Amino acid sequence: MAPSRILRRAALAAVAALALSSCAIQLQSRPDPTVGDDTMLIGADTGAPFFEENFNPYLGTKRIGVNYLFEPLLLVDPISGQEHDWLAESTEVPDPSTIVFDLRDGVTWSDGEPFTEDDVAFTFDLLQQVPAFDGTGIWSYIDSYETGDGTVTVHLKEPDVPARVIIGGVVIVPEHQWADVENPDSFRNTDPIGTGPYTLGNFTPQQYSMDKNHDYWQADEVAAEHLILPAANSDLDVVTKGYDWAFKYMSNVEGTWLAASDTNSYFFPPGGTIALFPNHTREPFDDVRVRQALSLALDRRSIADLAAEGYMDPASMSGLLLPNQEEDLDPSLPDQGFVEQDRDRALELLAEAGWTLQGDRLVDESGQQLAFTITTANGYADWLRAVQEVERQFEAIGIDVSVDQPQPAGHTLAQRNGDFDLIVSSFGGTGTVYQDFNNNLSGEFFVPEGEETGNNFGRYRNDEVDAILREYRVTTDETRLRELAWELENVFYDDVPVIGMYYGGSWGLFSDRKFTGWPSEEDRYSPITYMPSALLVLTSLERVRQEGDD
Amino acid sequence: MLRFAGTILSNGKARIGAAILGLFLLIGIFAPLLSPYDPNANDFAGGEGASAAHWLGTTAAGEDVLSQLLHGAQVSLLVGLVAGGLSTVVAVLIGLSWGYLRGFTAEAINFVVNLFLVIPGLPLMIVLAAYLQGGGLIMIIAVVVITGWAWGARVLRSQTQSLRSRDFVTAAVFSGERPSRIVFREILPNMLSLIVGSFFGAATAAILAESGLSYLGLGDTSTISWGTMLFWAQNSNALLTGQWALLFAPGLCIALLATSLTLINFGVDGISNPRLREGKDAR
Amino acid sequence: MLCALRKLGLFALTLWAAVTINFFLPRLMPGDPADAALARLAQNGPVTDATRAAIEAQLGLPTGNLWDQYVSYLQQVVTLDFGVSFTYYPQSVSELVADALPYTLILVGLVTVIAFIGGTLLGVLAAWKRGTWLDALPTIGGSFASAFPYFWTALLLLFFLGYVLRWFPSSGAYSVTSDPGLNWQFIGDAAYHAALPAVTILVTSLGGWILGMRNTMISTLGDDYVTFAEANGLRKRTVALRYAARNAILPNLTSFGLALGGVVGGSLLVEQVFGYPGVGYLLFNAVINQDYPLMQAMFLMITVSVLVANFLVDILYGVLDPRTRR
Repeated sequence: MAPSRILRRAALAAVAALALSSCAIQLQSRPDPTVGDDTMLIGADTGAPFFEENFNPYLGTKRIGVNYLFEPLLLVDPISGQEHDWLAESTEVPDPSTIVFDLRDGVTWSDGEPFTEDDVAFTFDLLQQVPAFDGTGIWSYIDSYETGDGTVTVHLKEPDVPARVIIGGVVIVPEHQWADVENPDSFRNTDPIGTGPYTLGNFTPQQYSMDKNHDYWQADEVAAEHLILPAANSDLDVVTKGYDWAFKYMSNVEGTWLAASDTNSYFFPPGGTIALFPNHTREPFDDVRVRQALSLALDRRSIADLAAEGYMDPASMSGLLLPNQEEDLDPSLPDQGFVEQDRDRALELLAEAGWTLQGDRLVDESGQQLAFTITTANGYADWLRAVQEVERQFEAIGIDVSVDQPQPAGHTLAQRNGDFDLIVSSFGGTGTVYQDFNNNLSGEFFVPEGEETGNNFGRYRNDEVDAILREYRVTTDETRLRELAWELENVFYDDVPVIGMYYGGSWGLFSDRKFTGWPSEEDRYSPITYMPSALLVLTSLERVRQEGDD
Repeated sequence: MLRFAGTILSNGKARIGAAILGLFLLIGIFAPLLSPYDPNANDFAGGEGASAAHWLGTTAAGEDVLSQLLHGAQVSLLVGLVAGGLSTVVAVLIGLSWGYLRGFTAEAINFVVNLFLVIPGLPLMIVLAAYLQGGGLIMIIAVVVITGWAWGARVLRSQTQSLRSRDFVTAAVFSGERPSRIVFREILPNMLSLIVGSFFGAATAAILAESGLSYLGLGDTSTISWGTMLFWAQNSNALLTGQWALLFAPGLCIALLATSLTLINFGVDGISNPRLREGKDAR
Repeated sequence: MLCALRKLGLFALTLWAAVTINFFLPRLMPGDPADAALARLAQNGPVTDATRAAIEAQLGLPTGNLWDQYVSYLQQVVTLDFGVSFTYYPQSVSELVADALPYTLILVGLVTVIAFIGGTLLGVLAAWKRGTWLDALPTIGGSFASAFPYFWTALLLLFFLGYVLRWFPSSGAYSVTSDPGLNWQFIGDAAYHAALPAVTILVTSLGGWILGMRNTMISTLGDDYVTFAEANGLRKRTVALRYAARNAILPNLTSFGLALGGVVGGSLLVEQVFGYPGVGYLLFNAVINQDYPLMQAMFLMITVSVLVANFLVDILYGVLDPRTRR
């Protein structure tokens, strides 16, 4: 190509772009007409940039489609917290150390073989033999198990009622296929056999399709005949190519996703709490008054608005995700546990802790200014926006704040090692109150700074909390469980082990063009595409009947 | 010095380049006065189009785009001039000694420069940026200098090698001058155009590298530069919402600034090489 | 002979040093591959110690001290077996690179060669027709086009031609329906998908070659031997092409040797924007995920190709410019 042509084109493009900069181009959704009305286009699995064929559900590099192929014994919806019996028809806890899964009758594998307790036993054994597969650590709870007559009875090492959702959450694979696999840890399972609503259709490196399993045990509930999962799911793709379901944070969702089509909708329920974790082994964060003061110094509304463009709410200091977990909220907590900014009170508390305001600097007796670093991960735009606002708000009460932004891996490392003053991270979102609190506050996970831990990285230790958590593990009574949850919430509210800022969203984008019944404000359940809870979505939808349909 | 500038500006292209660069320098210096708002103030309505109050609209977070654009000039100029200058100094010192010297020292330098040349630039930058995390602008400048000097050194060495076999150098050697004097008094002035050229080249590369790193989210996303403006624009779907100015303006500024440096280079070439001068001097 | 041997020895030494740096460089980054994987997972929901343990077991993280790792790495380099990638587990590094390499070699390699040849010729032309529009257009246009950030040009092209006008595909290296193989239908399809990335690279890299060639060419046109040749009555065209251009191409050739090797790194941003499955994209993913085996293999590949290109250019330089032979 001659440079003059390039030049002319460049000039033309520049002029065109300049002209266009004054008038906005609104991209419209233009679905591919060759995709049928019974076919769902899902933005769930993103290639890097191509797909590697891997349908082993226990590998971190698995294709997202495994969640529509394989099923667990029971499902917990991370948004509603509701437990759903799945491959187990019911789950009994005769005593806090025993769990009995009563398996569903009439379930078959997609190749026609019946699903039995032997498959469950095989799966449990597999996870024990290949620890790399045991991502939720079920063998840290299981002592032994026995099978018989359509049931699987698990004996725990110690009483732990909440462990049932962890053990029951493991997806089950068929013994008759997997028993012959020589190296399961590098098995790619390119010809998967599952119990789920879909089977693998056509696989190419740029997209794969899945077809409805007509012998599925609840085939009547499954509306879409085919699923298509493309490898390229940029925001531009999702908006312009007529996706039916995508999980994606889309900035300015009204101006983009909603504006592209009348039938588009979105549902962004809280999926976790984005919080500042103080390092409890460092001064002055070991002082509850300082933690309370920092919490009171924050205007959470403005932080939430900046970080998530107003789509997410400020976090309640009950430690719960609201309104998802409203039922578990202690009604005596003032204002549902939301803490309003109160700089005067914050300064009073700091004064009690020995920090007084001199001019615009908060200093101790020796004149040293209160200074600390907030660590956040580079490239996480919403966290950074939040931290920038927090920095402004802390500096307004005389604190010298600096921000450290390592790459995500460095951030994870700092978090695990306890190498931080205050670190931004998220907690909660498992769907169960116990797990949310236990992971973050349990003294069992306490290690000193420098040693690694993946839970309770704030290094919090509180005997009261540990006692409540211990009781939680042996309690089956609903009322008592609720009281225990309230006690945890109150400790969280008063002792401020973690300073919650705002809720991180669970970003569901939907189109009603072909299917309805998506998660919504009225029907709150998880819009997540990449976890077994997606089975709930796929079995809740109905087809939109169009003219010409029978 | 004045004569230098005069020679440069006798070139029409260089005059245009200098005018653009001058404009950006003025913008950078007077950004605080020119900006209608504080570039960090985020209390405006977010994602607005162009209006009388906000000529280029506002960002998704509610900052004034024009104010950010004006302040962004400071960072790009700083990175360009400082990083370009530092890597040129390193390139000159190493390139010239490398080209003049023979034997073991030359081989040793050759070895080091080759190492820096063969390690892929952008990936190296990403690794370094991750390693020197949180260093802000100084980190960016350091990364650009570390990854950017070797190329210039290599080019300067070639020219030095060519020059050192010229008669005037041979004459200087025979008259017993010290090597350092030969290199920096005899050879260097003859390469001035190449050196100044490589400075402007390095400055351009530095500006582009800063924008690339920031766009990938590896820079300091809390400072305001044209690169971080592009990062935030991309992050907030400026393409999808039709907020053109957000993506277009910083890119255009980067391109204009880089072009201005290249254009000045046309004039610079005329200093030591009258053949490259334009107008009545030429031919 | 001795000289060639010494050059070869230096080549080997540089190779060893580069290989060693390639080993230590990724390990400078804070955190390890498991941390990177955890950080990715944490974006999707809570992770616990059990998750970390499972990931560590899956990745088979390097064991032993740094020295042991280094020794086994050197063995890998010698046997060209780089093991299994962390990011694309259980895919092996060789498979991944073999899949990605053809696309980058053809796309970026070809475009770089075209840009170099085209740019050099335009540069000669500009110097030769100095002061006319044949000079002004390529030089000014080229410097303006090359001043745009790669990714920005790519974004604009992608948005207008890919999404607004829909003339070109928005991502990928070929259509979903087409079957990779050596047939015209696939080659046409692949070329169609490569068009936008190719134009981006061409537009942004052409200017550099034009300017470089033009300036050195003008300098050489003023050299004594050229004047001498002209004075001897040789035709201007012969002088320009046989004498001036041949010498002026030297610095450009140096750059070309390096640029060929830099093809991979340079394509990183473009491939990233266009979702093009080449080595640049692979390398970017390897770096951000701290995938040591993949990074090491790719850095090695780039290093060796740059070294070889340089080695060749060094030799070629001697052939073209007798003065450096002394």
